[in-house]
Amino acid sequence: MTRFAPCVLLSAALTLSVSSSTAQTLPPQSPTQTQTQTQPPAGYSAAALYNAANAYARAAKPGLAVLNYERAKLLDPNDPDIEANLHRVRDASGLRPEAPRRLDRLTRIASPTIISWIGVLGLLIAGVSMLSSEALPAHRGKLLAVALAGFCLIGVTLGSAVAVWPTLHQAVVVGHAIPVRVSPTLIEEPIFTLPEAEIVSVKGEHEGFMLIKTGAGRTGWAPDANLALIAPKGR
Amino acid sequence: MAAIFALLAALSTATTKNGMAAVSSAAVSVDATIEPPQISLGESAQLTVMTSGTGALSVPLPVVPGLEFRLVGQSRRIEIINGVTISSTSTIIRVTPDEAGVFTIPGPTPRSPPLVLRVTPGSGAAPSLSPNNPFAPGLKSLIPGGSEANGIRLTPDGSAFVRFEVPKREIYVGESVSAAIQVGMRDGFASSINSLPKLNSADFTLNSLSLQPERAAKVIDGKPFTVYTWRSLLSAIKPGTYSLTFSAPVTVRIRTQPRSDSVLDDLLGDPFMQNFFGASVSKNITVTSPDTAFTVLPLPAEGRPADFSGAVGSFKISTDISSATNTAGDPLTLRMHVNGTGNFDRVESNMLAGDGHWKTYQPKATFNQSDSTGHRGDKIFEQPLIASQPGVQTIPPLVFSFFDPGTRRYETARSAPLRVTVSPSAADSAAAPPTALANAAGTAGEEQNKGLRPDHAALEARTDSLIPLYLRPRYLRITSALALLFGGGWIALHRRERHARDRERQRARLRREAGDASLQRMAAASAARDTALYFSSARTALQQCLSAAWQIEPEHVTTAELDARLGPEGDDIRQLFALADEANYSAAPPQAADFERWTNIVRRRMFAEDTP
Repeated sequence: MTRFAPCVLLSAALTLSVSSSTAQTLPPQSPTQTQTQTQPPAGYSAAALYNAANAYARAAKPGLAVLNYERAKLLDPNDPDIEANLHRVRDASGLRPEAPRRLDRLTRIASPTIISWIGVLGLLIAGVSMLSSEALPAHRGKLLAVALAGFCLIGVTLGSAVAVWPTLHQAVVVGHAIPVRVSPTLIEEPIFTLPEAEIVSVKGEHEGFMLIKTGAGRTGWAPDANLALIAPKGR
Repeated sequence: MAAIFALLAALSTATTKNGMAAVSSAAVSVDATIEPPQISLGESAQLTVMTSGTGALSVPLPVVPGLEFRLVGQSRRIEIINGVTISSTSTIIRVTPDEAGVFTIPGPTPRSPPLVLRVTPGSGAAPSLSPNNPFAPGLKSLIPGGSEANGIRLTPDGSAFVRFEVPKREIYVGESVSAAIQVGMRDGFASSINSLPKLNSADFTLNSLSLQPERAAKVIDGKPFTVYTWRSLLSAIKPGTYSLTFSAPVTVRIRTQPRSDSVLDDLLGDPFMQNFFGASVSKNITVTSPDTAFTVLPLPAEGRPADFSGAVGSFKISTDISSATNTAGDPLTLRMHVNGTGNFDRVESNMLAGDGHWKTYQPKATFNQSDSTGHRGDKIFEQPLIASQPGVQTIPPLVFSFFDPGTRRYETARSAPLRVTVSPSAADSAAAPPTALANAAGTAGEEQNKGLRPDHAALEARTDSLIPLYLRPRYLRITSALALLFGGGWIALHRRERHARDRERQRARLRREAGDASLQRMAAASAARDTALYFSSARTALQQCLSAAWQIEPEHVTTAELDARLGPEGDDIRQLFALADEANYSAAPPQAADFERWTNIVRRRMFAEDTP
C-alpha cells in the first residue's frame, strides 16, 4: 500500500489544481441580468475583436484593423474568416504577406484553451505512467509507451507556446509613415519609416520609444504612441 | 446758345479722350491748378490743366512718388473769333496720395510753376463714415444722402446702404436666429460690391454667407436701388447686451465737378449722363449698417438634462429600424430623425448604448435642411446594430433633450420602443457583407476593403486576457507544480526501488559469502573425514541459501518446510538434512559418506537459488 501513496497524493493535488485552474479560466458570469444590460461586457472575445477589425477596415484604418485581427487570431487561431480578412487588409495596404512558420500548424489544431488542457492531460498521462512504471515493474514496457504518448501531448502544447511566443512580443503600426530613428530621441533624423499596419517585433522600450525590428531585419526606435502591442501588457 | 455749343464741344471731346490732349496751334498757353492745396490722407484733390491757343500740346500725366494720378476727363472748347480758331482744353486729373507729406507736382510745361500739395495724416475712417468730411473738398455728393429711415441708413452721398434684419432681438446663448443682410446700391452710382458683407462683432457668430445673394429692385425715397440679400444664421456666444453692425465694401461713382459748375447736372441731372460726360469717378468705400442691439440670455442651469448637447430650438424625434426581422450577427440600422427649427449644428446624439443584447457602433449623422440657412430641417442619425441574442428583442426608446426658447425651458423628446425579431444562426446566414454596417462606415475604406468576410455574432464568453491559457503564469505555475510532483514521486519511487535492489544484492553477496564459507568448511571436513562437521556445514549452507530464496529465517528451513515447498524435488536435501541430524545426534556418525556427491548437490542447489 505504501508504494501507491505518491500516486494518491498526486491525485489529490491534481484534483485541487484542476479545480483551481477551472475557476480561473472560466469567464466571469454576470451577476444579474440588469447589470448586463447597463454595463458592456468586459474582456476580449474573438468575435468582438473580429467585428471591430472589420469596422476599422471599412473605415480605412488598416493599422487598427490588423491589430484587432491579430488579437482575434490569438483567441481563435482556427477561424478562416480572421485569416482571410487579415490577408485582404494587408494586401490592400500593400504589405507583403507574413511568412508562415512551421509551428503555426500546432496552434491551429485546436483553440488555445483546448491546447492548454491537452498539455495538462499529457502531463497527467506521462506522470502517472512513469510513476506506475516504477511501482509496477512487470508492466514497465507498456506504461513507458503510454508515458511517451503523454509526452507527445505535452510537446503539442509546448510547440504552440513556442509558436505564439513571438506574437506576444509584436506590435502593429497604427499610424501612417512612422519615422524610425537610430536612438530614442526626436533629434535624430529618421533612418526609415514604417507603413501603417506593419507588424514589428518589440525588442525593448525606453521613455516613449520602442526598439523595433521589422520583418526585413531593420532595427530602430519608433514612438510607442504609434505602435500597439498585440498582447497588451497586464492583460 | 452757348450751352448748345458747349454741349457739342463736350460731345466731340468725349469721342476723342484717350488720356492725352492735343492742341493745335503753335501759340499755346498752359495753366494748371490743384484744388484744394491741402487734403487729408484718404482724400483726393483735383488737378486741372487748362490749355488754350492755336497750337497742339500733349499733356502727360505727372509722375510724383507717393501720389497717384488718374485722368478723370477732358473737355474742349472751340471758338472762332474773327476767322481765327481758338481751342481751349480742360483736363481733369484726380490726385490721390498714398502717404502724408508735402508733394511738389511739376508743371505741365518746363516753364510752368510747380504745384504744391500738402497731405495731412487722416483719421483712417472711410469717407462714408465721416459725415463731416465725406469726400475730399471739390468732390461733391451726386445725390443727397445720410438719411436714415425704415432701418436704412444711406451713405452720405446716398449711393448705397447696408441693412440687417433679424426676427427678434432677445436670444439665448447658442440659439440660432435667421438673419438677412441687405446691401442696397443706387442704380448708376454704386457700381459693384467688392466682397461679402462682414460681421463687426466678436460676440456673435455668423454662418457662412452664400456667394450668390438674392437680387431685387426697390425704390427708396423715390430713387431706384438694387438690393442684394444674403441670408444666414446668427448666434450669440455669451450672455449680455451687445450690438453689432455689418459692413460691405462697394465701389461708388463720385462727381468730380462742383455742383454749381456742372452744366450737365443742371441740364439732365442723370447719373448716366454724368458718367457719360466724365463728371464722376469711381471710389471704393465701406458701407456700414446701423447698430443693432441684442439681449443675450444665458441658458438656465436649472432643469438641464444630463444628455443636453446644446441644442436650442424646437424639435421632434422619431425612430425606425431597417428591418423588423433579422438574424443574430447580422447588422441592422437604427435611425433617429430630429426635425424642427434651431441650431442643428449642436444637435447631437449617442443613440443606443451597447448591452448584452445589442452590439452598437458609432452613429453617423446627416442633415437635410429645409431652408437656405439650415435653420429648419431634418437631422438623421444612423447607428449600426448587431443583435447578440435570438428572440424578440426590444430597442428601448431614444431620448433627445433641447432648450425651447418659446417655452423658455428644457424639453426632452422620446421615441417609441421598437421590436425586432431575431432568429438564431449567425455566421451561416451572413453570406453577404453587412450592408448596414458598411453603409455606416467610410466609403473609402469600404471601397478599399470590399469583399471582407461578414461579422460574427459575439456570443462566446469573454476572457480577460489575450495571452493563451498555456502561457499564462497561473497555468505555468500549476503545471510546473504538477510536473515537479510527478518528477519527485518518480524519483522517490526510483530511489526506493534502487535501494531495494541494493539490499537484495547485498543479501545475495552475503549469501554467497556464507555459502562459500560453508563450502570451505565442507571441504575441510571432507579432507578431515569429519562426517558430522561436513553434513552440519552442508545443512547450514542449504538453509541460508533456501531461507534467502523463501524470505524466511534459516532455522525455519526444516524438513517439513522442504516437503511443503519442494515436494519430491527436495529428496536429496531431505536426505542431507537427515544425515546431518544423524551425524549430530547419533553416537556413530555415518561413515560411508560420498562427500563429492553431496558437495555437488549443495553447489547445484546454491547455484540454482542464486540464479534469478
